[in-house]
Amino acid sequence: AVPCVSGGLPKPTNITFLSINMKNVLHWNPPEGLRGVEVTYTVQYFIYGQKQWLGASECRSISRTYCDLSAETSDYEHQYYAKVKAIWETKCSEWAETRRFYPFLETQVGPPKVALTAGEKSISIVLTAPKKWQRHPNDDTVSMQQIYSSLKYNVFLYNTKSRRMWSQCIANSTLELSWLEPNTLYCVHVESFVPGPPRLTLPSQKQCISTLEDQMSALKV
Amino acid sequence: EFRFGPCRVEGVVLSELWEAFWAVKNTLQTQDNITSVQLLKPQVLQDVSDAESCYLVHSLLKFYLNTVFKNYHNKIAKVKILKSFSSLANNFIVIVSKLQPSKEKDMLSISERAHRRFLLFRRTFKQMGTEAALVKAVGEVDILLTWMQKFYQL
Repeated sequence: AVPCVSGGLPKPTNITFLSINMKNVLHWNPPEGLRGVEVTYTVQYFIYGQKQWLGASECRSISRTYCDLSAETSDYEHQYYAKVKAIWETKCSEWAETRRFYPFLETQVGPPKVALTAGEKSISIVLTAPKKWQRHPNDDTVSMQQIYSSLKYNVFLYNTKSRRMWSQCIANSTLELSWLEPNTLYCVHVESFVPGPPRLTLPSQKQCISTLEDQMSALKV
Repeated sequence: EFRFGPCRVEGVVLSELWEAFWAVKNTLQTQDNITSVQLLKPQVLQDVSDAESCYLVHSLLKFYLNTVFKNYHNKIAKVKILKSFSSLANNFIVIVSKLQPSKEKDMLSISERAHRRFLLFRRTFKQMGTEAALVKAVGEVDILLTWMQKFYQL
């Protein structure tokens, strides 16, 4: 790389890891005051306890403001730092550095897959844990359940007729709700939850299903 | 409840410890500039058997109470950090008071294995300057809690 004068540019700002299911992407904002200037960026990362900074091979002289470091930070029991600098012609900024990043504690666990089946007065809910980020599509799939054995789910149920919300925390992947009203539209969304430090949660898409008509009242008609 | 092998510890809410540390994590870890050194290295905490775990957690928590928190305590100016430290320290005191590592002869080799792990941790600590080591040790409480959580049952 062409040597540049360090400190000739302001640093990138708000550098942080956005991590979901161990897909760890570094994000930053362009340096302030450089509108319309074609700035490029170079990223390095550091494994806590090791000796030196390492270059992110996919993020050298890039113009985008994010860098996927999932492969470099895939050992989620380690902690990491990352840094980025801005370059423009012969000038470059000083490094802007993240705070210590601990994927095992900080990755957001995505929502499970939700399958609903309705009965007359019941809804059966089957949940499938989210998958961990994979380096290659044909790599063996690893479920986030395998990483977090204490993974739980917060299930939210909304009765569209009575407009009442109900929720329950479950540890396994199936839930049978058998005290419902027949012929009623219910909406469900689910969040994954891992006991431990506070984490941002990502709710599943809301899914709605109607319980079946009550056979007894159908016969009376 | 914690189950460190034969040692049981009830009455400690792990989420409280996490909350206490998480409130000050960034402040503490930002103070640690020697990122090339890790006290709680993988060799200290990885693949610890249940039987070893009681000895190791007992040694580590006693060290944190008697050396780390005790000496770092005087440096704390911010009330927020002081509150977090008190919560962590009080919970560590409860855990240590309830741990009863066995002194049976047939457990000697296991306790020695745990002790070697602890010595590795302490040697790294002593190789650093005291100030830097204290800052690093408090910043690594998340590594310690992550390991302890493996022995926690809701």
